[in-house]
Amino acid sequence: MPSAILTRSLTKQYGPLTALTDFHLEVDQGSIFGLLGPNGAGKTTLIRILTTLMRQSSGDAFVEGLDTRTQGREIRRLIGVVPQENSLDRYLTARENLELHARLHGMEARHYRQRIDELLELMGLAGRQKDFPDTFSGGMQRRLVVTRALLHEPRLLFLDEPTTGLDPQSRRAVWDYIRSVAGSMTIFLTTHYLEEAEQLCDRIAIMDHGRLIALGSTQELKERLTGGGNVYQIEFDEGAERYAAVLREMVCVREIEVSGRTVCVALEEWECLSEVIAALNGAPVRRISLRERTLEEVFISLTGAGVRE
Amino acid sequence: MRLRGSFAIWRRDMLVLRRNLPSELVAVAAYPLTIYLAFGIGMKGYIGLVEGVPYGLFIAPGLISMTAVTAAYSESVWSLWFHRRVQFTIDSYRVTPISVSEIVIGKILSGFSHGLVKGLAVGLVIFAITPFRFPLEHLMAYLAFLIPGSAFFSCAGIICGTVMDKPETIGRVEAVFIMPLIFMSGLFFPLSSYPPALVPWVRALPTTALFEGARQALVGGVFPLVFALQVAVTALCTFVAAVWIFRRKMAE
Repeated sequence: MPSAILTRSLTKQYGPLTALTDFHLEVDQGSIFGLLGPNGAGKTTLIRILTTLMRQSSGDAFVEGLDTRTQGREIRRLIGVVPQENSLDRYLTARENLELHARLHGMEARHYRQRIDELLELMGLAGRQKDFPDTFSGGMQRRLVVTRALLHEPRLLFLDEPTTGLDPQSRRAVWDYIRSVAGSMTIFLTTHYLEEAEQLCDRIAIMDHGRLIALGSTQELKERLTGGGNVYQIEFDEGAERYAAVLREMVCVREIEVSGRTVCVALEEWECLSEVIAALNGAPVRRISLRERTLEEVFISLTGAGVRE
Repeated sequence: MRLRGSFAIWRRDMLVLRRNLPSELVAVAAYPLTIYLAFGIGMKGYIGLVEGVPYGLFIAPGLISMTAVTAAYSESVWSLWFHRRVQFTIDSYRVTPISVSEIVIGKILSGFSHGLVKGLAVGLVIFAITPFRFPLEHLMAYLAFLIPGSAFFSCAGIICGTVMDKPETIGRVEAVFIMPLIFMSGLFFPLSSYPPALVPWVRALPTTALFEGARQALVGGVFPLVFALQVAVTALCTFVAAVWIFRRKMAE
């Protein structure tokens, strides 16, 4: 079974600017794959190449085993695309938008009419199918774009920042839908919302300056940042500085940070926790909690905190 | 070549045209009819006969042709620009299993159809409110100019809508290039009005072949073959250029 997506040494240059450099990526079929990166990292360029909207300068890209350079039409039969911009036709009703898409995919009328009915019902848009997209809320427009991308039953769904600009309720509705179709197709998602990637994706790639800089599950990426160590937060009733000095002397404590009444302790391994507790015998400890790194911390540590243009 | 995609896009454009037809026709008919009333009726007492026909009759075929070709051009240029730069629907077409050529051919067909529908609508209005009459067989010869003429301007609109990213540039091209080309091609006056040295150059323009040939066909009942071939070849060349330029732009 071929990978849903495979790129080898993929490079894209716009004149002197290199948008993608020697990019290697493999996405398993049926997975939800997240691609993260700051603005200008090359995410959209990669999606445009994979969806055959753009040609690479060099290297190979395969979608479901098909070459993006020579088998574009076959690839486009298999993919659904939710672009960053809504790209809905404001002069057509919601249903007419879907019918046009179905015709462009060569679907037969008796087949697409039934499919449109089912999807509109599923996405909660059946009651508005005769309305124009301009009259829809942002969340409804996004749902309509997702509906359009799913109409021809794609094997691979590209979602380019699908929830940008949506309110939390609409965002969660899109998440729910992505989860509901997961497994039946591969989902390739780019997003600026790290929580979204954390919630939805089986594997995540982080890219910057056109290069892949990290790849793995959320847990693997977090462990890579913390070096596999464990970070605990210990809140004292008083004397945090004094107890921090005691802990600093311990061999298994890798790093220590004091903030008010809370001491943040990074341990070499979790087994050291009992030694720490023993050392704090009699101390006024109010709470000990495991502090998990967030994906945002991983992202910032890999791509830097500076604002991108 | 498969044309399923072209037909789907053309069908979409015709649905939108049908929905807006009454308001579109009022807007489209207003300009040529104003010119007809102002020049054809208002000036006829002063101008008399031009090349043996009353002035109102002389300008009528040109006004119908002008409506058709400007409608074809406007629909193509603005539609393509809007779908490419504002609505991003061209990108949504491009991720379906149709080719770039199918998209551009669909848009050319739409511009052409707009031109034809609007030109014929203005023709009917002129026919209804004026004494302008012609035999039916003249109409067939006239369509041999109007159809490739509309196709030529539709392709020209596609080229402009493809290469121009700013709407003000599109407006400027229309004002500086398209309208003078139409107006200077003998729409309101005979070519004999030009200084003799200029006439061969003006006759070489495809717009002259279109307007002059269309007038001769509709009013005089003759079929100027050279003019007809000139319009047809220009339409064909512009079509090839439009498809090629659009494909190149999309490959960028």
